[in-house]
Amino acid sequence: MNTAPLIVRPLLWPRILRFCLLAAASVLLLAYLLAPVFWLVSSSVQTEREIVSIPPHWIPDQPTLQNFKAIFLTGLGYASPSANGADPTSGGFIPSVAGNLLPSMANSFIVALCVVVLNLLVGVPAAYAIAKLRFRGRNLALYVILATRVIPDIALVVPFFLVVRKLGMLDSLASLIVTYLAITVPFSVFVLVSFFEQMPDDLDRAARVDGCSRPQVLLHVFLPLARPALVAVGLFAFLASWNEFLLALMFTQTAASQTLPIIVAGITSDFTVSFSFLNAAGVLAVLPPVLLAVIFERYIVSGLTAGAVKG
Amino acid sequence: MSSQRGGAVRRGVTYDERAAAGLLAALAVVLMAVTAFPILYSLWISFYGLNLRRPNRMPFVGLDNYTHVLSDPQFWGSVGRTAEFSVMAVVAVLVLATLVAVLLDQDFPGRRILSACLLIPWAIPSVANGLMWKWIYDSNYGALNGLLMQLGFISQATIWLGDSAKTLPLIANAFVWKEVPLAAILLLVTLKSIPADLYSAARVDGATALKRFLHVTLPAMRPGFLLVALYEAMMAVRHFDLFFLLTEGGPGGASDVVAWRIYVETFRNLSFGTGAAMSYILAIATLLMSYALIRSLAQKL
Repeated sequence: MNTAPLIVRPLLWPRILRFCLLAAASVLLLAYLLAPVFWLVSSSVQTEREIVSIPPHWIPDQPTLQNFKAIFLTGLGYASPSANGADPTSGGFIPSVAGNLLPSMANSFIVALCVVVLNLLVGVPAAYAIAKLRFRGRNLALYVILATRVIPDIALVVPFFLVVRKLGMLDSLASLIVTYLAITVPFSVFVLVSFFEQMPDDLDRAARVDGCSRPQVLLHVFLPLARPALVAVGLFAFLASWNEFLLALMFTQTAASQTLPIIVAGITSDFTVSFSFLNAAGVLAVLPPVLLAVIFERYIVSGLTAGAVKG
Repeated sequence: MSSQRGGAVRRGVTYDERAAAGLLAALAVVLMAVTAFPILYSLWISFYGLNLRRPNRMPFVGLDNYTHVLSDPQFWGSVGRTAEFSVMAVVAVLVLATLVAVLLDQDFPGRRILSACLLIPWAIPSVANGLMWKWIYDSNYGALNGLLMQLGFISQATIWLGDSAKTLPLIANAFVWKEVPLAAILLLVTLKSIPADLYSAARVDGATALKRFLHVTLPAMRPGFLLVALYEAMMAVRHFDLFFLLTEGGPGGASDVVAWRIYVETFRNLSFGTGAAMSYILAIATLLMSYALIRSLAQKL
């Protein structure tokens, strides 16, 4: 909605007014988006004493990285949690869950990376077929995928749990990787289909005339051109797996397979953990996905809109 | 769609069809295993009286689980709260996202920074979102109490989440904060697709900026509004994470929504049969909503 007329040069006053309005709106929006996160980060670097001050110290007087140090040292085995019964309000107290954070982060990474790879392996060929090939049942395939996209994850929890239990796969990363496909693959396919559909059919035809088989066309013609879509789909699968909570809550029981959201959720209801430590754990969970989202903003926005327009 | 012309005469399997079968095989296997099978298995379970407290007895009970759930006033209470939460959340998301989209549609320095920051709430894991807002709402040291007291709006700390009248709006606020970015991005696409002629025509007719917004922008954004409203309603109706983290259904059942009810019935009461029946009812409700979505999109495309 670019309101600047092309012929008549706008008067000075309306332009100043417009500038002020835009600036005010931008500041408001930034405050809305960033203030909660700022408070999370600020709280994570406060001391035990400072975090319980009234009114809150919005900017810490004596910022400290003690929580992060505790998490990394215990996680890597260089320090152990404080003994039971030690005074949590004394400086340097390390809660017993501190050592679980790094291993659970590793679990989250492994699960997310496996889900990304499987999404691409399953989604790319299928999306290419739906976008460029003419075959009976194409519309049916589209509708089935669309229907699977709207199944609520909570409706899958009961059957998944029973099957995973029966297979003896409770408390394993494999159960998470497989079930996360249910919440990622349908969306991945939609993003990829809408992307492949935008690529000219002539590319496809030319390669076929040159004697390429279908898989060869996909591999040598479409894949190199589809890099932005692959990045977007990979990011969505990664973020969805990294952030997933409900299924991980049901299937994991010990630190061996618990992902970061489960450990962090446990900390929020643990009364022996200080508020500043709690926020440090939150910062760890937030950092990787937020960095990815900000760095790859363009890919994500184009992927989100592609996925939405198709379904 | 291909056999229409031939009638009884069936065309043989074409090269493309064989290739498509190969390319789609992996997807078919995955979707069968992780969506079709669980949905059917869940339907089957919902006809049995399966309780993990006595896992070896699994009597067939027919539709008893469904009649039990549908005649349970506690279930209908949670349906009401789910509806209340969803309506609040969707309306707030729509209003805020429209404002954000209109702002990002302008051309000004710093717009790119804004749209990068817009993705931050979207990317934050819902657990971290829950932790963050639980700490903000904290009754002793929380930022909300601190801010309102510093500004002089309240004189003493309020127990926010403990007040059953405030619980749902506060959880909805945390939900909305995370959902506004995606909604704004989708609405921005709709805004950009409005033909510029409409605006120049309105300007020639002497319409002010406000009138152009009311009579050109808003009507043209209807498909976008519909898409976002239905998508967000689907997200809100099934939402679980914030209820688990912030209130666990409390205080006194004030945030006992359907998703929370399913969790309690299944994993605390271990009553998998009624849990499955409840999640089936939720899935069908969502499916009906998404059918409306598909229909409205089909009209648009």
